[in-house]
Amino acid sequence: MKIAVCIKRVPDMDVRFKIAPIGNAVDEAGLKFDINDFDSWAVEAALQIKDKDSATEVVIVSLGSDSVQETIRKALAMGADRGVELKVARIPFDGLAIAHALAAELKGGGFDLILFGKQSADSSNGAVGAMVGELLGLPVVTAISKLELAGATGSAKREIEGGQEFVEFPLPAVLTIDQGLNTARYPALKGIMAAKKKPLDVRPAQLGEQSVSVTKMELPPERPAGRIIGEGASAVPELVGLLQTEAKVL
Amino acid sequence: MTVGHGIFILIVVLSLSFFSYNAQRLVRYMMSIGQPENRTDHPLTRIKNLFIIGLAQKKILRDAVAGPLHASVFWGFVVLTIGTAEIIVQGLFPGFTYAAILPVPLYEFYILSQELFAVLVLAAVAVLLYRRIVVKPKRLQGDKVHSGDAILILSMIGALMVSLITLGAFGFALHPDSSTIFQPVSLALSHVFGGLSAGTLEAGRETSWWFHALLILVFLNYLPYSKHLHVLTSLPNTYLANTSGPGVKGAMSYMDLEAEGAEQFGASDVTQLGWKSLLDSYSCTECGRCTAVCPANITGKLLSPRKIMINTRQRLMELAPLATGDFGEFEHHTLVAGEGGDAGDASASAALGNTLLDNYITEEELWACTSCRACVEECPVSIDQLDIINELRRDLVLMESRFPPEIQPAFESLEKNGSPWAFDPGDRAKWAEGMDIPTMAEMVERGERPEVLFWVGCMGSFDDRAKKIAVAFARVLQAAKVKFAILGQEEKCNGDPARRMGNEYLYQMLARDNIETLDRYGVETIVTNCPHCFHQIGNEYPQLGGNYEVIHHSTYIEKLMDENRLPLNGEGKALTVAYHDSCYLGRYNGIYEAPRETMKRALPMMTLVEPPRNRSKGLCCGAGGGRMWMEETVGKRINVERTEELLATGADVLAVACPFCMTMIGDGVKAQGSSVPVLDISEVIAQQLGNQS
Repeated sequence: MKIAVCIKRVPDMDVRFKIAPIGNAVDEAGLKFDINDFDSWAVEAALQIKDKDSATEVVIVSLGSDSVQETIRKALAMGADRGVELKVARIPFDGLAIAHALAAELKGGGFDLILFGKQSADSSNGAVGAMVGELLGLPVVTAISKLELAGATGSAKREIEGGQEFVEFPLPAVLTIDQGLNTARYPALKGIMAAKKKPLDVRPAQLGEQSVSVTKMELPPERPAGRIIGEGASAVPELVGLLQTEAKVL
Repeated sequence: MTVGHGIFILIVVLSLSFFSYNAQRLVRYMMSIGQPENRTDHPLTRIKNLFIIGLAQKKILRDAVAGPLHASVFWGFVVLTIGTAEIIVQGLFPGFTYAAILPVPLYEFYILSQELFAVLVLAAVAVLLYRRIVVKPKRLQGDKVHSGDAILILSMIGALMVSLITLGAFGFALHPDSSTIFQPVSLALSHVFGGLSAGTLEAGRETSWWFHALLILVFLNYLPYSKHLHVLTSLPNTYLANTSGPGVKGAMSYMDLEAEGAEQFGASDVTQLGWKSLLDSYSCTECGRCTAVCPANITGKLLSPRKIMINTRQRLMELAPLATGDFGEFEHHTLVAGEGGDAGDASASAALGNTLLDNYITEEELWACTSCRACVEECPVSIDQLDIINELRRDLVLMESRFPPEIQPAFESLEKNGSPWAFDPGDRAKWAEGMDIPTMAEMVERGERPEVLFWVGCMGSFDDRAKKIAVAFARVLQAAKVKFAILGQEEKCNGDPARRMGNEYLYQMLARDNIETLDRYGVETIVTNCPHCFHQIGNEYPQLGGNYEVIHHSTYIEKLMDENRLPLNGEGKALTVAYHDSCYLGRYNGIYEAPRETMKRALPMMTLVEPPRNRSKGLCCGAGGGRMWMEETVGKRINVERTEELLATGADVLAVACPFCMTMIGDGVKAQGSSVPVLDISEVIAQQLGNQS
């Protein structure tokens, strides 16, 4: 089996962001970057298939500047076999432009499965995976939280509002991964050392035409600080009163 | 030459040969399986340890009952070995006696010493046998050990003493003119034998001599088959140990991650441990002192430091005979068989497939360790159980990525945010807002240099309770007019949690970043209220080239008091305070008095009370070794056990000197439904600050 996992390098979400002076982007100074969480679960899903069948080849594809090599190496340290960097100076906002570049790389690669995270933590479009499936003419299942393969058929579970949905699809297919499928493994030093020697090809990305752009970014309004009313039973009446009159949640 | 003389020579030659054969096997196993280590540096420190811990029995005497008993037997052994030598030489060269070569007073002193120590040893052995057979103390149970080996050894020692005394008594009865008051017990006994015929007396004397001489040789040859091998290995083990120096106490071993061709990090089997760990395993007598003080074991977890040692020895004895081609021994494990039942598989392929990790020691045991060092502190023969635990943890994380799932977020956050919790590094100095505390960057920009750098640590920066400690200590520094700075956003976790959890790679990443920052500012002196930061930066950063004077806030406050820099109001109520010793401050760094002393000086009317386990015997709060980030689901919670001990003192206030202890003891107090306040020593002192003029 041959699996491609498309991953994105995104800023760590534990910090408070600042808007760059240009107004339509985040100030990247001081930010830490890492693999997008959903994508790390996609890598893990591929590696779990490889754990069961060691003949499986897992290829990591990431579009971005050379800094994505660090992110690709992390996926290689987790256990993927080789990586491809589709080089661009700056990741465009338009998902279709990205999808064209990825599809050009993946086409004819003989992949049985192409995995994506269901969305990226930074732009949250959730579009690229499905677009790649469309461009390659492959079946697409989005936001799966359970995956089973049997021969040339796969089955998956999707969490939908108020319930769960079970779907079947033929291989090859494009899947996007939701939370809950697995927990990404922590790369051991042994894996990090091995990853240094794994092949990582760099190719210019053949981006599609960009027709959508971000014009402006704003931070969410600042949340007022919490208030401590008191301690113990005596504080309850005031709390209930405030929840009714001020917060209007009761 | 009589027939008996000839037989004796033959027996001595055979038994010494057999003993040498076994001894070289044990040495060969240890050296061919273990990794190389240099243990001969700093001979003076090692000789000092040999005298204090070995000959003076310092650590064995930590047990108030068994300690003096063992010391009696040990010192008896040392003294009586001189007599043993005389008896063996006598057998080889009939007629030899020390009387022929020693001046009379010295000879008289010698025979008196033999007699008195024989009686002392006999008495001690009787009590020890009583303990083993009747009392059965708890620490001598567990880990599948039983007392058969010990009872056999004690009986042999007892029989040696009895035969030594009857030898003298029969001799005196036979030749009353040779009697001397310098052998009072033999003399008294000789009167009992007075009525026997000369033939009977001669037979008795002969029998005593042969029994004694042969039993010595039997005893010697039994040792390599017994856990009592420590009779031979404990003194070399003490000399070769690093647990009481030389080197930094408690520092984990340096690991070169970029070493050419390095493929194994940490240890999963005895072949990856240093040879000294294997000698440690030979030296373990299964006395259980380590397990009896282990906080994990006390509260019902699987971990037992004694079992770690027994397992290491068992695995060594399973693998080494195979690896060295000693197939007879492999077929029938007999050497240092000891006790504790987890013997390995019988087939060679199974033995080769086994590893110390998993087949003998489980992951669950390893992750239960709080790295509190109580086991190491207690071991009378300076065994380093923690070294093996640390090496196995390193293998788990660095080679196999196997660890409790709940510590993965801590690893990831350490890597991304430089703190084990997912806080914004930009908020590191938030606790200090409005306190007019400059960062290093600000001070350097003003062209100034601080007297000390206050290393706040992740707890002091982000934990709500510990932030108050940082504030209190900063107030103390300000009151003493100390010119200090903090690193603020540039500070990162010192790396101790990562290192203790086996993640050496992450540790070195953090440590190197911090060293780069500290060196960039030319920092020389660091004070910190966190014993983990204190130990790590001061004692372990030198391995990576970071050399700073690091002072714990307890010692620093004491120094400020000594220099009369701290304005104290001299007031305060008559409080009763119980201080809880931090492991990384106490056992790792020997600081027991400064926290107590500073509080006493700040609160003249304070009464300090101690829980039964205090100072070097203090019980861990349960947070060390990365346990802070792990679930504690088995047995009783360690912090609750410790808090109960502290509350039982009846103290009005519980004092700590470590933010991790603060969390654990604070939670323990809440779990007990108690309202006794838990304060850091700097908070106790900050409350007593006088008017700053």
